[in-house]
Amino acid sequence: MEGRDRTLLGLQYVLGRLASLITAPLVFSAIWLRGYRIRDLRRIRSEVDRLQGEHEGPWLICPNHLTMIDSVLISYGMASMYGHVVRFKRVPWNLPERDNFQKNLFLAVMCYLGKCLPVNRGGSREELQRLFEKCRHVLGWRQSLLIFPEGGRSRTGRVNRENVSYGVGRFLTECPGCRVMLIYLRGDGQETYGTLPRFGERFTMQVEVFDPGTVDGAGLRLQRGYARRIVDRLVEMEEQYFAARG
Amino acid sequence: MSEEQITKKVIEILRGYVKDASLLEKATGETHILKDLKVNSARLVDIIIKCEDVFGATIDDDEADRIATIGDAVALIQQKAA
Repeated sequence: MEGRDRTLLGLQYVLGRLASLITAPLVFSAIWLRGYRIRDLRRIRSEVDRLQGEHEGPWLICPNHLTMIDSVLISYGMASMYGHVVRFKRVPWNLPERDNFQKNLFLAVMCYLGKCLPVNRGGSREELQRLFEKCRHVLGWRQSLLIFPEGGRSRTGRVNRENVSYGVGRFLTECPGCRVMLIYLRGDGQETYGTLPRFGERFTMQVEVFDPGTVDGAGLRLQRGYARRIVDRLVEMEEQYFAARG
Repeated sequence: MSEEQITKKVIEILRGYVKDASLLEKATGETHILKDLKVNSARLVDIIIKCEDVFGATIDDDEADRIATIGDAVALIQQKAA
């Protein structure tokens, strides 16, 4: 990665950390104002805290994907407001699509300060390569990267095995020591994908550490193998969710 | 194998991953796999792996990243076969 990109990435982290005194209360207030609640929140945060205590990083956080604010809700579910400010290092980096926030200055600033690395859908190979480099760099800092293995929001409303983004497998093969944390998040009223969950939505969030094991092959086959295993496990977590819901 | 034969085989491989097969009728070396054929970027990896199987070549990440058009894929396969 070029020295300039490295410096800018470091600057983004430092500014984000300083601004977290303002951004974390803003985000948490917005979640509360929308009436969003996550069941067993204290237990989930305690579990994530334990896992991140046992293994500082790097972590690949791999959730299912239904709405535009899943990464915000997941970050909220993973740590308290205090945790977001004091342990900013643990807040995951995100990869939102640039078109989704760039036109709104407020959102653009919040995303920048909230550890977002924008993705240009259909962008050039060089852009994609630079983004990969940045991701590898933050993983090298032993930080967390939140990446949706399905690539985009599931159009079927269920974890979609047919739409696997193999980027997650690439990070796993290229970042030794990287662990995978799977997260399944779903609101009681979420039957399909959407922009925002409804007001007052109650969510169930499951967290688990996943070991993708050994996959035969190398290169692209290995990446595909890892990515498929991750999505397969997310499918199982979804089945468990619906079985418990009855 | 000639460039034309490789192109034909690559287009046959693509047929399994393109939602609208009619887009392949006018496909040339200039055809962009993601933009013109509307192939999902994740499927591009499947296509490259399929090419590895069909042509008996090994394509690494950097080489895969350079594939944007049908012509790029054909040129890479030719280079591997040489």
